[in-house]
Amino acid sequence: MDASQAVAATVEFDHVSKVYGGAPAKRGQASTPGAVNDLSLAIPAGKICVLVGPSGCGKTTSLKMVNRLIEPTSGRILLDGVDAADTDRTELRRGIGYVIQQTGLFPHETILENVGTVPRLLGWPAARIRARSEELLALVGLEPGRYAQRFPSQLSGGERQRVGVARALGADPPVMLMDEPFGAVDPIVRERLQDELLRLQEGLAKTILFVTHDIDEAIKMGDLVAVFQQGGRVAQFGTPAELLASPASDFVARFVGADRGLKRLSLSRVRDLDIRPAVTGRVGEPALEARRRAAADPFPYLLLVDAGDRPVGWLPDSEIPGDGLLAEAMAVPMSPILSLEMTLKDALSMMLDANVQAGIAVDRSGRVLGLVTADAIATFLRESGPLGRGGAISSPASPADPAAPAPPAGPPGGSGS
Amino acid sequence: MIDWGWIGDHLGAILGRTVQHLELATIAVSIGFAISFGLALVALSRRPTYPLISGMAGILYTIPSLAVFATLVSITGLTIQTAEIPLIMYTLVILVRNIVAGFDAAPADVLDAADGMGYSRWRRFRAIELPLAVPLIVAGLRLASVSTIGLVTVSATLGDAFGGLGFFILEGYNRGFPTEILSGAVPSILLAIAVDVAFVQVEHRLTPWITAEPSRAGGPERLAPGDGLAA
Repeated sequence: MDASQAVAATVEFDHVSKVYGGAPAKRGQASTPGAVNDLSLAIPAGKICVLVGPSGCGKTTSLKMVNRLIEPTSGRILLDGVDAADTDRTELRRGIGYVIQQTGLFPHETILENVGTVPRLLGWPAARIRARSEELLALVGLEPGRYAQRFPSQLSGGERQRVGVARALGADPPVMLMDEPFGAVDPIVRERLQDELLRLQEGLAKTILFVTHDIDEAIKMGDLVAVFQQGGRVAQFGTPAELLASPASDFVARFVGADRGLKRLSLSRVRDLDIRPAVTGRVGEPALEARRRAAADPFPYLLLVDAGDRPVGWLPDSEIPGDGLLAEAMAVPMSPILSLEMTLKDALSMMLDANVQAGIAVDRSGRVLGLVTADAIATFLRESGPLGRGGAISSPASPADPAAPAPPAGPPGGSGS
Repeated sequence: MIDWGWIGDHLGAILGRTVQHLELATIAVSIGFAISFGLALVALSRRPTYPLISGMAGILYTIPSLAVFATLVSITGLTIQTAEIPLIMYTLVILVRNIVAGFDAAPADVLDAADGMGYSRWRRFRAIELPLAVPLIVAGLRLASVSTIGLVTVSATLGDAFGGLGFFILEGYNRGFPTEILSGAVPSILLAIAVDVAFVQVEHRLTPWITAEPSRAGGPERLAPGDGLAA
């Protein structure tokens, strides 16, 4: 498929300002809604960067300056190092995907025609446009045979939004701009569209600038998040983990919310934890040997596993027989089984439900990797706090806003993930 | 009451006058539309001119047709120009306002998306704005045509060469002959209705998206059974 071969581009804001009317607002002075003040951000290729903030903080303005729907008052925006201002405007736009909240689908065109918009503008031959449009519809989960000839008014809000995404991918652009793309659909549909976009992005690896006012959406969708505050300044730019663990200012702390500790749980996964090795005993092995091993470890239980190293159940150290072989019947009920991809939030929730202190981490084929305890999760959150460990990617260039204290410096190169 | 014999004897003349009636109206609406489209484009590209243009057209509309005919006769004589100028004049207010409203009706998000995807100004106008303006433009054409077909009858006052079916109305009135009045009035009404219906058909052809069946699910956001599992 075309899409998977696409190259992404870096997007860099270099001291970009947008002033509406009169002179630029002095610091501390109220500025016009939508104004942007000396924005510098470097967004690596292939990442989703979320611009989040209250309304009127300049995030949509910043987005629209990338495809020059709005021209900056000063500063430069570089796409793969090339100044957007040096590219012909319509040409620039045809090379950048654009998705907006109200979808902006053309009501008089069929779904197929809508999706083929940019290829048509680029003058592709009709057959290629058609093939590409059908491929894109399938990509966003809309069966071409069923949807191609409909008009936008015949689709649900969620379906229309998918068409919007498909249309933006038309000519396989390296950069996508998404302005509150899921803001107008109900929460259930929104969550599904978010998941689908993340799944798509795994294959597409586009550079995506994503505007939202919803911090939860920002944390979920962003590899990087830029928190905007009134006056068009960036209060903090970093990974979701950094934002939650060490907000750079009171504003950011308030904006991410009092439950940021809990939010962090959904950012990290079981694989991010130090998984404590479990003392195991295989069904069928001599009990005495297992008993000796268990005694050497402070954890008062032995984990019984089957021949394939898959967990069977617990055996309290005190109940390990002195002779004979370990048998499946000896095991007491299981702790929850946790996959490495599970978020800490889900893992903790399962442990609380099962009323146990430890879950068993297993790999893809179900083999025991070790134990995850509630303590380990708490320790992880405490330790990963200011260092932005756990799903954090390396720190991008520090935020441009001199008003906000710079976030505590991470270790060079971040966590190395 | 009705002298069917007279009607039978004059079928050819009635048909001829009907054709003339349609011609006079078509010329007026066509030229009126061309002028209105130009005025609307000026108003759309230079917004402050809109109240002026719309206001002038409104004032023209208030001038009594008989007064215009009387005035024009001294300038253009008993010619087709004298017959058409007032007819054209009266179409302007309806057409200009509907054309402008038609282009204004294009949703802002649609235009934003079109710009964002790289439509040039001209291409956006031709491929997006114009088709979306069709319903209101056609609505204007329907109104203008029906009112023009009614007004053509008044041009009978300019002499036998004009007036279309209005010729029979005027002559029937002068002769105190109701059958002849009806022979002008009824076909004129039928003509107006026929033209109106024809425009509706044209509009349906041009705007398939408006008559398309609504969303299969009924509600805008209703999920089909099993949708939740798809993701």
